[in-house]
Amino acid sequence: MARVQIESEVTGNVWKVEVAAGDAVQEGDVLIILESMKMEIPVEAPEAGKVAELLVAPEDSVEEDQVVAVIETA
Amino acid sequence: MSWEPEVKEIERRRKLAQVQGGKDGIARQHASGRLTIRERIDALVDAGSFQEQGLATAIPDYDDDDNLTGYVPANYVVGFGRIDGRRVVVGGEDFTLKGGSPNAAGLRKSVYAEHMAVQFKVPLVRCLEGGGGSVKGGGGRKGGTVGEPVFSAPRFRIIADAMGQVPVVSTAGGAVAGFPAGRMVAAHFAVMARQTAQVMIGGPKLVERALGVSLTKDELGGAHIHCKSGIVDNIAEDEHDAFRQTRQFLSYLPTNVHQRAPRIDCADDPERMEEELLTAIPRDSNAPFDVREIVRMVMDEDSVFEMGREYGPSQMAALARLNGQPVGVLANDCRHYAGAMTAEAGQKYRRFVEMCDTFHVPIVNFVDQPGFMIGPEAERNGTIRYGMAAVCAAAQATVPWASIQIHKGFGVATAAHYGPNAYVLAWPSVESGALPLEGGVAVAFHREIAAAENPDEKRREIEEQLRQARSPFPRAESFAVHELIDPRETRPMLCRWVDWIQPQLEELTGPTTFMMRP
Repeated sequence: MARVQIESEVTGNVWKVEVAAGDAVQEGDVLIILESMKMEIPVEAPEAGKVAELLVAPEDSVEEDQVVAVIETA
Repeated sequence: MSWEPEVKEIERRRKLAQVQGGKDGIARQHASGRLTIRERIDALVDAGSFQEQGLATAIPDYDDDDNLTGYVPANYVVGFGRIDGRRVVVGGEDFTLKGGSPNAAGLRKSVYAEHMAVQFKVPLVRCLEGGGGSVKGGGGRKGGTVGEPVFSAPRFRIIADAMGQVPVVSTAGGAVAGFPAGRMVAAHFAVMARQTAQVMIGGPKLVERALGVSLTKDELGGAHIHCKSGIVDNIAEDEHDAFRQTRQFLSYLPTNVHQRAPRIDCADDPERMEEELLTAIPRDSNAPFDVREIVRMVMDEDSVFEMGREYGPSQMAALARLNGQPVGVLANDCRHYAGAMTAEAGQKYRRFVEMCDTFHVPIVNFVDQPGFMIGPEAERNGTIRYGMAAVCAAAQATVPWASIQIHKGFGVATAAHYGPNAYVLAWPSVESGALPLEGGVAVAFHREIAAAENPDEKRREIEEQLRQARSPFPRAESFAVHELIDPRETRPMLCRWVDWIQPQLEELTGPTTFMMRP
């Protein structure tokens, strides 16, 4: 069991949160969609696992490298 | 009387000069997962092709009767070799002796590496590992001469000159600090091994003494720092991967600026049309897409060699081939700030264009430029200066240039994507203008919007009107682009262009009017 912190690659706002804590996710699943410079930027699961924490909500602003979610991998 | 005794002595000294730091020194090198300089050279060049220069250089010790009593090899190894059959000069410090800090004979050879490459007009590959000068060396005995003669030529001049004459590659297999770190970046391509290499101006001891902070070599200058600092282009999985990347990088470039980049036979059909290009760009202009997939589908199969992926990531830079012709590829990655030109992207862009210009490699540019990055951080980073440097590099480029407008093209930053006499293709998905609609309408029509009963609705109405006026067809009708094309036609159109630019490339050799600097 490993906890993987997922960071935002850009500064922007949270547009949509696509998963809930506890959801099982596959590698490449979209967890959160950010909005930055008028582009929708998906934040994807780097590995399969379970969503342990969601650290942002819609309309929150996020900084580059900010941790936005944590997943637990099997 | 034959000269056999002397010949035997030559043989003996050559052997002694090969021992490096001895069994213990070599064992220490291997224990930390690093190759010795001689293993590095063997791993890099074609088997059996290394021809060392200065086979017997060393620091000898003689007794009173002139008998040899000690023989410390020069700790810099340099010579000729071949990579894929093509000539190169290769050199590097021997870390097993004095930690690569040059001994007297080693110093002379290290300075000679650049001279050799420039004199013989062949690429230079440095296999770096060492800490540069030491306070122990350098000072003369009391009463003797100290320092260099005041009129001597700048020692680093040849390092600067080499970059305008021949391809220069730096690889780091271990810790590279001090002057070797300067050599590391004075290159067209620099690559470091992920686990074993660090690059630092000053190492941990210097940093602690000067600044009072205690950091490891990795914390100061490990791969995770420099993939983003941009001082190296690529991170290699290990030293062998660094040499593989070096060979691939050199395969796109000429042997020197007087020759043409080597065009190879191409097994990939120049008329190939990829179906997926038709749907590669989403109709919703705010939805992101993977520009690397587009580049991959257009270029010759397996020919894309990306440089500096994590530095200035809104701008992609790669070497690739089109119908066998080496080309420099630039493309905006809209998943990073919509592909906007940040300060880092601007610097990456300028250096890449200058490198292509230096070696007369044509440029193919996939344009999706929303403009210079804006906002407080962008202003603090001095974005507009680096962005304008990129624009100027493109405006003065001498290489044939093709631009494919695939998505957005807004603002002054877009000018960076066109060299003089560019061949311009446009996809139907193109949107362009002085400012993106969303922000631009709010600025240009602010009075009308403010006066409206429902300002938001008014703004949307104006945006929609303008959006409809931005049909791609008038651009082709007005000859504002050469062709408006089916995205699937991109490869065939570019491969035909590559044929048409051959006479220009034939003439386009020799040094450029500017000289690329680190």
